[in-house]
Amino acid sequence: MTKIDSERTKVAVPARGKLPSVKRIGGWHAIGPIVIFLAILVVVAILTPAFIGSGGLAIIASSSAPILLLALGQAMVLNVGSIDLSNAAIGLLGAILLALTLGPVAGLSPVIVLLATTAFGAVNGLIVAYAQVPSFALTLGTLGIFQAVALVASGRTTVYVASNGEGVHALYESGIANVPMTFWMGVLLAVSLWVLLRYTRIGRGMTAIGKNESAAIFSAVRTRSLKVLAFALSGFAAGLAGIAIIAQAGSASPTGLGSDLLLPAIAAALIGGTSISGGVVNPLTVIFGALTVALVPIATTAVGIDAQAQSLVYGAVIIGVVALTMSRNKSSIVK
Amino acid sequence: MSDVTTTPAVLHLNNVSKSFGSNRAVRGVSLSIQSGEVIGLIGENGAGKSTLLKILSGNYRHDEGTIAVNGREVQFRGPADALRVGIGVVHQEQSLFTNLTIAENIEVNTPIGRGGVNRLGLYNWRRLYADAAQALDLIGSHLNPKTRVSDLSFVDRQMVEIARAIRVSAASHTTPLVILDEPTAILERTETAILEREISKLRDIGSVIFVSHRLDEVMRICDRVVVMRDGELIADRAVDDVTEEELFRLMVGRETHAAVRSRRSIDPANSPVISIHDLTRAGSYADVSIDAYPGRILAILGTSGSGRESVARAIFGAEGFDSGSVSVAGYSGRQLSIKKAVALGVGYVPAERKTEGMVGEMPADQNITLTHPGSAALGPFELPRRRLSLARAWFEKLDIRPREPEHMLQDFSGGNQQKVVLAKWLNSAHLKALVLDHPLRGLDPGAAETVNAQIRSVCDEGTAIILIPDTIDEALDIADDIVVMRDGRISGVFDLGHDNPATLDLLERML
Amino acid sequence: MVHKVLSEQGAGGITTTAIRIRESGIERRARFRGLAEPLSLLVALAVLISVFSLLNERFLTASNIQNVLTQSAIPLIVAVGATLVILLGSIDLSVEGVMGATGMTWILLSNNSRGGADLGPWAWVIALGVALLLGVASGLIFTALKVPSFIVTLGMWYVGLGIATMLYGTDLLPRLEDEGLKGWTSRISFGLPNSFWVALLVIGLGILVLRSTRIGRVTLAIGNSETIVRSAGLPAFPVKVAVFAIAAVLSGLGGILATVQLDIGSPTVGSGVLFIVIPAVVIGGTHLAGGKGGILRTVLGVFLLTILNNGLILSGVESSYQSAVTGAILVAAIVFAAWSQRDRLRVAK
Repeated sequence: MTKIDSERTKVAVPARGKLPSVKRIGGWHAIGPIVIFLAILVVVAILTPAFIGSGGLAIIASSSAPILLLALGQAMVLNVGSIDLSNAAIGLLGAILLALTLGPVAGLSPVIVLLATTAFGAVNGLIVAYAQVPSFALTLGTLGIFQAVALVASGRTTVYVASNGEGVHALYESGIANVPMTFWMGVLLAVSLWVLLRYTRIGRGMTAIGKNESAAIFSAVRTRSLKVLAFALSGFAAGLAGIAIIAQAGSASPTGLGSDLLLPAIAAALIGGTSISGGVVNPLTVIFGALTVALVPIATTAVGIDAQAQSLVYGAVIIGVVALTMSRNKSSIVK
Repeated sequence: MSDVTTTPAVLHLNNVSKSFGSNRAVRGVSLSIQSGEVIGLIGENGAGKSTLLKILSGNYRHDEGTIAVNGREVQFRGPADALRVGIGVVHQEQSLFTNLTIAENIEVNTPIGRGGVNRLGLYNWRRLYADAAQALDLIGSHLNPKTRVSDLSFVDRQMVEIARAIRVSAASHTTPLVILDEPTAILERTETAILEREISKLRDIGSVIFVSHRLDEVMRICDRVVVMRDGELIADRAVDDVTEEELFRLMVGRETHAAVRSRRSIDPANSPVISIHDLTRAGSYADVSIDAYPGRILAILGTSGSGRESVARAIFGAEGFDSGSVSVAGYSGRQLSIKKAVALGVGYVPAERKTEGMVGEMPADQNITLTHPGSAALGPFELPRRRLSLARAWFEKLDIRPREPEHMLQDFSGGNQQKVVLAKWLNSAHLKALVLDHPLRGLDPGAAETVNAQIRSVCDEGTAIILIPDTIDEALDIADDIVVMRDGRISGVFDLGHDNPATLDLLERML
Repeated sequence: MVHKVLSEQGAGGITTTAIRIRESGIERRARFRGLAEPLSLLVALAVLISVFSLLNERFLTASNIQNVLTQSAIPLIVAVGATLVILLGSIDLSVEGVMGATGMTWILLSNNSRGGADLGPWAWVIALGVALLLGVASGLIFTALKVPSFIVTLGMWYVGLGIATMLYGTDLLPRLEDEGLKGWTSRISFGLPNSFWVALLVIGLGILVLRSTRIGRVTLAIGNSETIVRSAGLPAFPVKVAVFAIAAVLSGLGGILATVQLDIGSPTVGSGVLFIVIPAVVIGGTHLAGGKGGILRTVLGVFLLTILNNGLILSGVESSYQSAVTGAILVAAIVFAAWSQRDRLRVAK
């Protein structure tokens, strides 16, 4: 029934020669995440001056690493107009697999883990692209599967790295500017994804899918393969997050952590300027989204909100950010 | 249902006008309809029929003039207002809830505390079914109100829509005016006969405006025929005083069309770029064979039920077919995918530019290089500067304005957007054929002219063009070959190099 | 011109005349499926029951049957609401959060080991009021701000969990002290567990609402086409809010019963329920796109999953596999449902 009204299009024709400024394209999406992060940081610095002095920033950066990695993967999926609810569970499974295999196969273990998590993501993508099912429902289902695999693989207990953990642990111990390598790993991934999105045909195609999938199909963009790739990247990033978890803690627990990371990672992607409806993403600002999310517990304590309220804050932030940044028009139908 | 006093007209339009920007879609239409009358409304595509209907159904507000129903002036704020005074529109795109029963669709607006909905808001199904059966009975239909709409044929769904349209006024004892917007366009001939019979029964309870492309039907069913052309109501005749030929002439406005450019006949030495053979898709088209030659524009004419859009999509691999073959540039396959078609050198400009043709929130230069990057990419990498200069060249060549390809495509005007969509395909090094589905839709005459000029020059460079035009004039204006389709089959083939079909002849083959 | 007939977000399809005609064929076939689906579910249930009863003699004992009925009661209650939401074409992911917040509110206001207020029946009213608020909030954000429902309810899931965690605080575990309520849910009255009676009542009311009220019928209509609902002047906005509110209240009721069953207050009292409810609705045959399906089918879906889990555990399968089984069933069900509608121009997000 929403017949596109041919006649109405004429109304919107702008006068020849005058187009809105290009600057608008950058706009809030480019600087918003940085502004939000700095604003919260200033509040924290004023309320608890000791925090900044005692290397608080480095602590934030290091604690944000898994969130950042997951958020980057999520942002790639959001960019093609889908969502991956399973990526935190994949990351957790990756961490458990790493803890279990580091002993037996040592250096090969991270490679195996990354291959496995990338494959998990790709399976998500294959089903979304070829069976044409809604991604939130599909990844809700696979989330359950990955969770169960994690439970079974770990025997329901916390898994510790038995041996050969030094190399992975070094990612957390060594660093640049007092910030561990796990965080820089995220930054490196962000830069790579930024290049992918900005300077390659693959990235252009992904963005086209997110902005207008029908037009992408009619423009012979390889929509299916690119969706699979986006989900595979999400799995790969989740694997890196798993490595970061092991690097930091030396162990992985099959309960809780997955869902503890899912929402913060989505929040980080959204605060980082990623659009929930697809087509708008900047991996570089997602870094600030992740930093902001890592700052939330400290900020909430600083302003006197109960630390218990964290998940409430994450939930509210997600709804708020989407509500504030979503582009909507009056007649559109949202489900 | 009610005693009708015939003094005031059921509907009276006085000098109604509606403009979109500079385009006056409806100009000073005056029309009066009496109770029990069946009026035929005819006109070519773009004559302003659908805008007029949308004004009557409350979807658009008119700029000038007055509308009176039963002698009282009305202002519609929405479709509900129109329904309330007894104007029900049966749109071509059906507006039934297919997952619900007939009864519910008819009784959908029953307020709480009335009819089958008790004061607690609970439904009394027996009552709802009975009321719906009564409404169906009124128009002489005997459908079972418990049937789910998804199980109905198209003609039956039309009946349900009509029953719903008259339901409100039947309940309030006003005379209904039912507007049927091309109800027969997608029906088989036998179904059409059924619908015709049912429509004539409506005469006993109210008035009907019947919009159709099929003049023979109009002549059979209606008492009066009004003709629209270029937004104006140019004729209002009793069917007894007019012939089909005369109506054709009134719709088209002139007998013949002067050729704008000289046409050559198909050069027998050339082989077709696209050759489709006995293409069939159940329920859409059958046994369609078309050859498109390089350097020629082939226009496919037909009404909305002709299946021509589906044929065009099949050539681009966007829609499957059941049997027959499509061969492109020597390749012939059972099925074609979009990717395959594009690799073979086919391009496609969809009718819905904004939703299918372009990525509006992407800059124009990125739209141009989306499918064929040409020199703007090195392997997998894009070269933004080259992309921009490439886009600038296209902007220059196709005269796209303003010359700022780094801007979001959605900010450009319709004609310029369409040229960017063309440039996307022209940027291919091996473009062999271009399928254009309503390329001028929504463009003002000036923009349409410049887009047409570009289409011609693309064709002159040796590309085969398959065009689905909006109007017959558009085809006569630009095409070298014309294929006419009716009800999914080819009803006429003309090589304008030696044939000179009259507009009337083409129209007759369409309807 | 019949071109872009439908472009609703979510459904996001392109419908030309040809596709539309073919769709009517699909719909006709779907009707056979409509009959076949509940039948095949019943067959599947029967097969499951016979296989498990062969594998394990304890399966068909009265105590295990009562056990299964008790286990299915809470998912059934929550699933009635979830079915309504999915019939709209939306989704409610917030059930576990709402259950946590409501259950925690209820136990802290009831006779519990922390002492404090014992408001008796008012505890129920206030707790369900919390659920109602959360549901109305979801509904309003969804309809008024046009935030996609999966995002609103994903956020609301964690908001609910946060509320529960804050209420829980750092004090001692709140234990239910009311002897009359302890174990009430699994106690048998007239041959069935109490909680199952509650579930039956909710199912009955749910069927009544869906079948015979404006809310129910407009819900189905919205699922079919919200555009037509609006152009027909039907109340899309209030109905959508109401459906989210109903769903949240039912989740809340489930949360209270789960708390009674557990005997203690826990923010994660609803843990795992979402993973039974959504797959149950989908395998029941309710379409994720909305408009088609029903509550009785969902009931069959819940039974299928509960019996499957119960039987697997009786057969010695580790409970760790539970979420994998339901997850895999969800994946299979949505793929099965979407398979016939695949089209090269279809857009699924």
